Amino acid sequence: MSTNSPVLEIENLSVAYRTPNGDVNAVNDVNLTVYPEEIVGLIGESGSGKSTMAYAIMRLLKGDAYVTNGTIRILGQDVYAMDAAELRKFRWEKMSMVFQSAMSALNPVMTVEAQIIDTLLNHRPNMTRSEAVQRAEELMEIVRIDKRRLKSYPHELSGGMRQRVIIAIAIALHPRFVIMDEPTTALDVVVQRSILDQIREIQRVEKFAILFVSHDFSLVAELATRVAIMYAGRIVELTDSKSLRPGEPHHPYTEGLLRAIPRLTAEEITIDGIPGTPPNLISLPTGCAFHPRCARVMSECQTTRPKRVKTLYGSAECHLFRQGTEG
Amino acid sequence: MQSSSKVSQLNQTDNKLVEVENLVVRFPILDNGHRAYIRPVDEVSFTIDSGEVLALVGESGSGKSTIAKALLRIVEPQSGTIRVQGNDVTHWRGGRLTTYRKNVQMVFQDPFGSLNPVRTVEHHIAYPLQKHRHLHGRALRDMVGSLLERVGLTPVEETRVKYPHELSGGQRQRVAIARALAVNPKFLVADEPISMLDVSIRAGILKLLNELRSEFNLGYLYITHDLASARYFGHRIMVLYGGKVMETAPSHELIRNPSHPYTRLLLAATPGSGLDGPLPETSNQAPSLIEGRTGCPFAERCPLVVDACRKEDPPVVRLSEGHEVACHVV
Repeated sequence: MSTNSPVLEIENLSVAYRTPNGDVNAVNDVNLTVYPEEIVGLIGESGSGKSTMAYAIMRLLKGDAYVTNGTIRILGQDVYAMDAAELRKFRWEKMSMVFQSAMSALNPVMTVEAQIIDTLLNHRPNMTRSEAVQRAEELMEIVRIDKRRLKSYPHELSGGMRQRVIIAIAIALHPRFVIMDEPTTALDVVVQRSILDQIREIQRVEKFAILFVSHDFSLVAELATRVAIMYAGRIVELTDSKSLRPGEPHHPYTEGLLRAIPRLTAEEITIDGIPGTPPNLISLPTGCAFHPRCARVMSECQTTRPKRVKTLYGSAECHLFRQGTEG
Repeated sequence: MQSSSKVSQLNQTDNKLVEVENLVVRFPILDNGHRAYIRPVDEVSFTIDSGEVLALVGESGSGKSTIAKALLRIVEPQSGTIRVQGNDVTHWRGGRLTTYRKNVQMVFQDPFGSLNPVRTVEHHIAYPLQKHRHLHGRALRDMVGSLLERVGLTPVEETRVKYPHELSGGQRQRVAIARALAVNPKFLVADEPISMLDVSIRAGILKLLNELRSEFNLGYLYITHDLASARYFGHRIMVLYGGKVMETAPSHELIRNPSHPYTRLLLAATPGSGLDGPLPETSNQAPSLIEGRTGCPFAERCPLVVDACRKEDPPVVRLSEGHEVACHVV
C-alpha cells in the first residue's frame, strides 16, 4: 500500500434504484480507498452491486439509479460536485473505464482509428489530426495490435482484439485511475491471460491505479493486491489478496466462495457450494444479509447488522470478528 | 484419434455406452464467392462408459458444441459413426430417432434462454413425460413432483406454478436438469452447465449432476472451457483444438502431466495455475478450419513446432494407460 494520497476515496456510499414499490438499495454504505498504482479487485455475484458501484464512481448512473448518500472523491475532487463541463473534462483524462462487453462498447460503423482519434481530439482541442493518428498508432503498439488494424471496423476484429482496442481507448489520455468492469469475461482463457498480462505491463509503464471488477475469484486473487468482496450491496470484507487461501480466517461468505471454486492445483478436489441463493435486494434479510446462508450464524446475526472491524488482513463486517481478532 | 478407435474395436464386447469414431462435421462457407467447407469437427473419436464423465475442454470455435450437436443428431455428420449402446445411430431417422432422443438428453449453457418464458415449471417437465412416457393425470402430476424434489426444487407445490422469470439462474438450471431426466436418459450432454451461474451456486449444480450420475448410472459428456472444473467433475479430459483431439487422459494425469503443447498453454493460462512469465505460445492466431488444411492445427502457435507439423497429421502417441496425445514432438 502506498502512502501517497489516494486516487479514489469512497465514503459511506449508498446507491438506490427507484421502483414502483419504493427504493431498492443496490449499494449500501460502502467505504473503499484505492491508492496510486494499486490494483484493487472488486468481487461479487450478480446483483451484489459491484457494477452499480463502478457506474456510480464514473457518475454514469442512468435512469432510476441515484446516489442517496456518501461521497466519491477522485484525486481529491468530489465527482458529484463537478458541473457538466468539469466532469466532461475530468472523465477519461483522469479516470476512465473499460466496459464489460467487448462486442457492444465500440461503435460498429466507425473504424478503430476514427474512434481513437475522436476521443483524443475531443479532449485535446489543440492536437492536430496527424498527431492524433500518431498517438493512435502508438496505442496500438502498446496493446500489441498491428497498426494496419486501425482501418478495421469492430466486426472485423476478434473478441480479444476488440477488448484490446477498448483498453487502448481507455488509456489514450493517460488517466490516473481506470475501472475495469469484467474486461475478460467473454474471452477464452488463453486470450484472457494474455490480456491480463498486458494490463499489468501497461499499468507498470503508465502507472495508473485499477479497480478491477470481476466475479472470478482465482483471477482477481492473482491480479490484485487487495480484494473487496461484495454481498447484497455491502463490502463484507476487504482483504490482502495473498490471504485468499483456505485456512485463513475470513468472512464466512469469503470462505464459502473459496470452497466453492474447484482449484487447479490443490490436492483435494472437493468443492462445496454456499446453500441458498443470493438475496433479493427488495426484501433483504434482517441483521447481516448473509445470515440465512451462513454456516456459522449466531443469534445476534439475525437481529443486528455487524459493524466494520479491522482484521488481520484488512476489514470485515461480521460478528465473528472482534476488533483485530477473530472471535 | 486412430489408436483409440482400434482399442474400441477390440473391446466391442464391453458395450461402451457411447462410441464415436472418426466423426467429421462440415459446414459450407463462402470463400471469395466460391463455395468451400470448414470442418469444425475433424476425425474425432472417443468413448464414454455408463456412469462415466468425459470432460471436453477447448476454446470457443474448437468444435465442442458441434460435437454435442452431432451426438444429439441436431447436425448431420459428414462421415464417421456414432454408436450408442451398440447401435449405430449415425443416420437414424423418424421413429427410431425419436426413440434415440429419449436416451440422450442435453442441458444447455443458458438457463435464461433454454426455458420458455410463458410456460410454468410444471409444463416444462410434464411435456416430455406426456410425449415420451405417455403419462397423464395423477401419475403425471406425481412424476413431476418427484422430479422437482429430486433436483432440489422444494417446496414442490410452490415451484410447480412458477414461471422461469421467478426463478434464479441456479433454479432454472435445476428445471433444465429435471426436464432432461424426465425421459430416463442413459446419456446426458451438459454444455457449460455452470458457466453462467453465480460462483456460490455452481458447486451445488455440479454436485447434483454427480449424484444423478451415480444414482442412474448416467454417462456424461461435460463440455467446458475451464480446466479446473473439468478436473473436478470429469473422470477423463479430452482437449480439443481446431476441431481435432490434442490429448486425452484421466483428469488428474492430464493436469499433473500435460504433454501436448496446447494443453500446456491452456493450463498455464488458467487462473490458479501458479505460472508466472510469458505464455508458451508464438502467436495468437486462430486455427484454420478450412477443409483440406494439412498438419496440426496448433502448429502456427506452437513453440515446439517442426517442419512435419505443417505437412503431416500428427501420430497419436500412447504415453500410459488412457493417456494419448496427438503430436509430432512428444
